[in-house]
Amino acid sequence: MIHFKNVSKTYPPNIVGIRNINLHIRPGEFVSIVGQSGTGKSTLAKMMFAEERPTSGEIAVGGWDITNIREHDVPLLRRQIGVVFQDFKLLSQKTVSENVAFALEVAGVSNRRIREVVPQVLKIVNLSDKGDRYPRQLSGGEAQRVVVARSLVHRPKILVADEPTGNLDTIHTREIIDLLKKINEFGTTVVLVTHNREVVNALKKRVITLDDGQITSDVEEGRYRL
Amino acid sequence: MFTSTLRAIKFAFQKFGRNFWLSIITVSMLVFTLLTINILIVLQQVTTKAITFAEDRIEVSVYFYPNSTIEQVSDAAVYLQGLPQVRDVAVITSDEALERFKLRHASDEVILASLSEVDGNPFGATLVVKAHSADDFPFILDALDNPKFRDDIREKDFSSYESIIDRIRSTTDRIQLFGIALSGIFLLIAILIVFNTVRIGIFIHREEIGIMKLVGASNAFVRAPFLIECILYSLLAVTITALIVFPSVATMDPKFSLFFNGETGGVLTYFSKNWYWIFGIQFIVMTIINMLATMVAMRKYLKV
Repeated sequence: MIHFKNVSKTYPPNIVGIRNINLHIRPGEFVSIVGQSGTGKSTLAKMMFAEERPTSGEIAVGGWDITNIREHDVPLLRRQIGVVFQDFKLLSQKTVSENVAFALEVAGVSNRRIREVVPQVLKIVNLSDKGDRYPRQLSGGEAQRVVVARSLVHRPKILVADEPTGNLDTIHTREIIDLLKKINEFGTTVVLVTHNREVVNALKKRVITLDDGQITSDVEEGRYRL
Repeated sequence: MFTSTLRAIKFAFQKFGRNFWLSIITVSMLVFTLLTINILIVLQQVTTKAITFAEDRIEVSVYFYPNSTIEQVSDAAVYLQGLPQVRDVAVITSDEALERFKLRHASDEVILASLSEVDGNPFGATLVVKAHSADDFPFILDALDNPKFRDDIREKDFSSYESIIDRIRSTTDRIQLFGIALSGIFLLIAILIVFNTVRIGIFIHREEIGIMKLVGASNAFVRAPFLIECILYSLLAVTITALIVFPSVATMDPKFSLFFNGETGGVLTYFSKNWYWIFGIQFIVMTIINMLATMVAMRKYLKV
């Protein structure tokens, strides 16, 4: 599903983001990428949806070589990958439903289809009754569930979650992780970037550990070890 | 495609509404520019009318001796009418000339009394000659030196409006030059304001733009609302300009009749007949200029 071959990223003037990463994530996997701050976890995740480009190496997603993806192909890639961030990235002047619908609107999906899909994904994240609320009227966990709902509207094959629980308390963290597990059970490949030890240990899924931009361990049913 | 276009239009209107005061300032500047251009158009029309009006009044009065016969005068009139430079020849017979003189001095008994002292009609016939253009008069005056008529002609009186026309032309040329410079300055300011509006718009909507890109909006879809918004600016500016120009011209036009012997300046007629050209071209040119400013701003500040 996701292939990284000798991928390195260097920022000017000479700051190493990641170096010589070789990685293969299979379809339907749930993979946690862990490591201390500044070890290149987010850089690695952003390369999966072409937010960052590698300095060297090759990246393929779903059989599509995105190493040198053209600008006008990036939107097509991003409609196949759901993305969840720590800081939510919700539009404050739009309601929950409108925020979710926004991802479909900008992709040119018909209004009829939007009216069908939005309630479905809100039901998945258990926010059916809060569609008319604005982001400021939601708890952190609810806001993050809206983001997950928005990331699901295109029925992505891959979901990349970059520190989705970074701003949440323990209860809301568990809600979000349960939601990601549920999405994974539906067949979606989930890549979770986190430094939350409890979350990783509770998941009992594959764990890739990064240190100084390099993979230091890659363990099936791993634990959080730095 | 149709759905995306409608949505891009919707987003453009939303952007316009959210930056309402910024949009108003931008449109106002465009209106100032267009008003200056329309004032130049009005000026051009009034100048043309004034020059035509003055040229219409240039004429040569050819006075014949009282003893010249009506046949000699008619021959001269026919000869002049045959010249391509001549627009019109009017014959005033000696009797008509006498009647006009009496009428003109009806209240002056001294003149009338002295006229009765003169034996017979002291006036000869007169030809009033009009040319197509002021430049034709030297040729016409030369033509009247024809030996066939030369000895019958007492005097040729050339009432020249050329100096007036020259003054009208030089004054309006100066005003137009000033107007063009002013339009240029307004246009430059308008371009900078549109550029700045787009720049601020990108800054204000950076979060929304970021999310749009993140969820898979195409580059064209991200850019389209900015371009549609600049079309909206042009459309609004041209509409407001037209709403100002038409009533102003309608009020002004009858006042020109004081200068043009009861005729209007023809400006309202000109605008009424050609409004779609005048404002259509202004809209197209303004839109192209705005789009160029928008594209430069997007290229510089909108990293999609």
